[in-house]
Amino acid sequence: MVMKVLSADHAVAWAVRRAKAEVIPAFPITPQTLIMELLAEFIADGEMDADLITAESEHSVMSIAVGASAGGVRTFTATASQGLALMHEMLYAAPQNRLPVVMVNVNRSLGAAAGIWVEHNDSMPERESGWLQVYVEDGQEALDMVLQAYRIAEDERVLLPIMVCLDGFILSHTVERVEVPEQEDVDAFLPRFKPAFALDPEDPSTINAIVPPEYAMEMRYQLDRTVERSKMVIKEVDEEFKERFGRGHGGLIDTYKMDDADHALICLGTATSTARAIVDELRSQGRKAGLIKLRFMRPFPHEELREVCSGLRAVGVFDRSIGFNRYGPVFTEVSSSLSGQGLKVTDHIGGLGGRDITLRDMRDIYAIIGSDAEGKEVKRVNWHGLRGVQT
Amino acid sequence: MYEVRFHGRGGQGAVMAAQTLAEAAILLGHHAQAFPYFGAERRGAPVRAFARIDDKRISIKSQIYEPDMVVILDESLLEIDPVVDGLTEEGMAVVNTTKSPDELDLGISVRCATVDASSIAMEAIKAPAVNTAMLGAVARMSDLVTLETVKRAIEDRFGEKLGPRAAEANILAAELAFEKTRTGICKADRTIFQKKVWLPTWEELPTGTTVYPEHIDGVAVGPGGSMQNLTGTWRNATPRYLKDKCIRCLRCWFCCPEGCIKRSEDDHVSWDYRYCKGCGICSNVCPVNAIEMTRGVTEW
Amino acid sequence: MPRNDYFLSGHGACPGCGVAIAVKNIMRVLGSETTVYVPASCLIVFSALYPTSAFKVPFFFTAFENTGAVITGIKAAHRRRGVQGNVVGFAGDGGTFDIGLQALSGAADRGEDVLYVCVDNEAYMNTGIQRSGATPFGAWTTTSPIGKRIQGNRRMKKDIMDVVIAHNPSYAATLSIAHFNDFIKKVDKAKKKKGFRFLHVLTPCVPGWKIESSRTVEIARLAVETGMWTLYEYEDGEARSTYRPQEMRPVTEYLQLQGRFRHMNNEDLNNLQRYLCNKWYYHYGHDIEQPVCRIYKGEKELHFDGDPLHGV
Repeated sequence: MVMKVLSADHAVAWAVRRAKAEVIPAFPITPQTLIMELLAEFIADGEMDADLITAESEHSVMSIAVGASAGGVRTFTATASQGLALMHEMLYAAPQNRLPVVMVNVNRSLGAAAGIWVEHNDSMPERESGWLQVYVEDGQEALDMVLQAYRIAEDERVLLPIMVCLDGFILSHTVERVEVPEQEDVDAFLPRFKPAFALDPEDPSTINAIVPPEYAMEMRYQLDRTVERSKMVIKEVDEEFKERFGRGHGGLIDTYKMDDADHALICLGTATSTARAIVDELRSQGRKAGLIKLRFMRPFPHEELREVCSGLRAVGVFDRSIGFNRYGPVFTEVSSSLSGQGLKVTDHIGGLGGRDITLRDMRDIYAIIGSDAEGKEVKRVNWHGLRGVQT
Repeated sequence: MYEVRFHGRGGQGAVMAAQTLAEAAILLGHHAQAFPYFGAERRGAPVRAFARIDDKRISIKSQIYEPDMVVILDESLLEIDPVVDGLTEEGMAVVNTTKSPDELDLGISVRCATVDASSIAMEAIKAPAVNTAMLGAVARMSDLVTLETVKRAIEDRFGEKLGPRAAEANILAAELAFEKTRTGICKADRTIFQKKVWLPTWEELPTGTTVYPEHIDGVAVGPGGSMQNLTGTWRNATPRYLKDKCIRCLRCWFCCPEGCIKRSEDDHVSWDYRYCKGCGICSNVCPVNAIEMTRGVTEW
Repeated sequence: MPRNDYFLSGHGACPGCGVAIAVKNIMRVLGSETTVYVPASCLIVFSALYPTSAFKVPFFFTAFENTGAVITGIKAAHRRRGVQGNVVGFAGDGGTFDIGLQALSGAADRGEDVLYVCVDNEAYMNTGIQRSGATPFGAWTTTSPIGKRIQGNRRMKKDIMDVVIAHNPSYAATLSIAHFNDFIKKVDKAKKKKGFRFLHVLTPCVPGWKIESSRTVEIARLAVETGMWTLYEYEDGEARSTYRPQEMRPVTEYLQLQGRFRHMNNEDLNNLQRYLCNKWYYHYGHDIEQPVCRIYKGEKELHFDGDPLHGV
């Protein structure tokens, strides 16, 4: 174990080095670029044995990644925002072909009213692609999750690509204390990749012919069941990781002060850290506030959320993106999990376009959930940090 | 509701036939719809098209499984496609064949109309587009549509797409076919063709989209599995090899798109007629006329 | 010429398909140690319908515009795993000239050790004959129809070979399915070389060009005889012609066998002929004044029958 002071982007690069990814297609996009730059340095210095392929676009990056994965090697790439959107078409080539690509998406706002700052509206629309999707909170979790991601993705019960999402700048460029595990410990946790199938003239296979209606639906159901089955593997891998490295991250969800809580926020990404601070503040005032850290958006932890929310009187949902149809995507997902429970749910939208989420914002969020728990009238959807009257 | 299923080969115009039939029915004041099922195949491969006719608005948008009538644009489909699937003895069939109805064996005894649409098409249109001739036969066979409305529908659909000359030729084809159609009851001696199918459950399906070469439920899968598709049934002309003339230049072997020309040790060639689509390239490229094209599906 | 087939019978191509001829023979030369990628195209549809494939070798498909990129990825994996043989992508003209140009340029620019084959039937045939950057001047397609105001495609065919050569590939060549020995030699050269290799094959299309199915190879030959297609290769920084017809034949001999050109008027024919004469000189040199090239100087009218297929 080596203690380093690293940005989350650099922590990811260290994880990829330790995971011994072999083919790394790359295209620069802020705020992801630091990852690829450091990997390029590792390779140029001979500290890492991998092919970093400088593609001419993110579309080609994902094409190279699926090609390399179908060729049977461990593959890594990273992107953000417009880059992820440009990959959109190719994202779909990985899950149904069961190619365990691992990709880091450094969340950044997408589209017009453009900027380089954090928002989840780049990765949230990709929930339906068949990729597993996990959101991390700090540099250590980013590093650990990349290592875990390979184990989950390559597990023969899963064989699915994973997108590790981390917030742009506020996490990607934040330096923190990060423990980088020793190579032999990682090797023991994550053995060399043995592909389930690979393009090889010695043992020829046909991967992804045109699929007529007679077969496509069974393939979709198989994929749907596999995403569901990955829940079990995600939990197992986190437990084993905890045994080996002394740190777990909770698997699908993590909780904070939920034992006796009567109201809580379901939160993801870096905002979780800020929420944790407010929970401590509220607890010191005798309020029964709790925090549920949503880690995986896919597979979505329906049962886990129902269980952890079962004793609550009100729950809030944090959304760092908006569906332009009143609700944010996390709220929509959580509501479908909790439907029929009679639990009051409020949506809290904030931090769009990189707007900072302050302690005061988070205090407001908890105040609304607390009022909801007490039976007071509150708005169901609340934008935090917005100037002007919400209608 | 009256349901018609068209069976043809890519390029014969089954889809246009279904659309034109629907239009003819609409001209008579009925409601009608027509739609294709597009497989992945190309010219020559079996294709299906559907038409529904009713007196009220039709709300169904699924394929036709129990047709009242099947229209078979190519007799050779009987050997490779379950064309009479779902047809009951109350139904009827319209078939492009030189046979009379009582000589024809569909494997089910139904009211049947036969017409040599291929010859009529060559005469009227100078191309093997049999669809309009078949519509003439349909008009003769059933009171679903009249010859007059079929002609008007052809004028509309073909005239707009291919010009007035093409419309005229196609109207002529329909008229000739209407004259020459014979009706009767067909035989039911043959066993109806059944396709080998592999329809796995989701649990049985191999992981993802990957298949390795093997046979599952009698169906070849994976690399090279295309060999089970006997595309020789597509052809309407057959190459004949005149071995004495052959100079063993192997042009035909190189130029055969199907790879069905086999090369022997001494560089003479032979044909695997199971796959020959009858394109005629081998005959065309032969510098010494050692390959001649003969009409029909034969083996030499 | 190897005898074994790796692109097998039973595929669903139209009778007389030029793409099938090209792919079958390229696969014969490349042999069993080959991994194939095919993007969206006629070829993917007629050669690989789940659960089977006509390719007896490893086969992969994902999308339309990424041939250069996917073969890059497969080759990188093979290099690392010590897997032998060529990784080849068979893309159509749309997948190469148009939507696939960026990935092609990326792979060529990086000098990836892959073989890129463009099977060029001069339009988007898979979707039903739409104009591409490879469609020749004057040709009818469904998106360059014969209208009252505009008739056929108004641009000369894009020179994709020049675009590829600008990337300094290790090998690039044009192929004709009518010139067997030249075809085999070039594929064999491409097979044995390292680095980025590009083969460009003209593959006449029966429904798309409105030709008789028996004439696919004959028309490919006429393309060369009329200068519509020139046979050359680029190697070690130098391009050289590999076959030059003694005398250039008038382009009308090529056009009149194809329904897609039957509407062309004299002005268009002369423009095309002039373009071809310049192209001829560009590829074959100025040493011979081709008699046919005098026609656009007003010495002779082109003769054109038109309507070869009775209005098909």
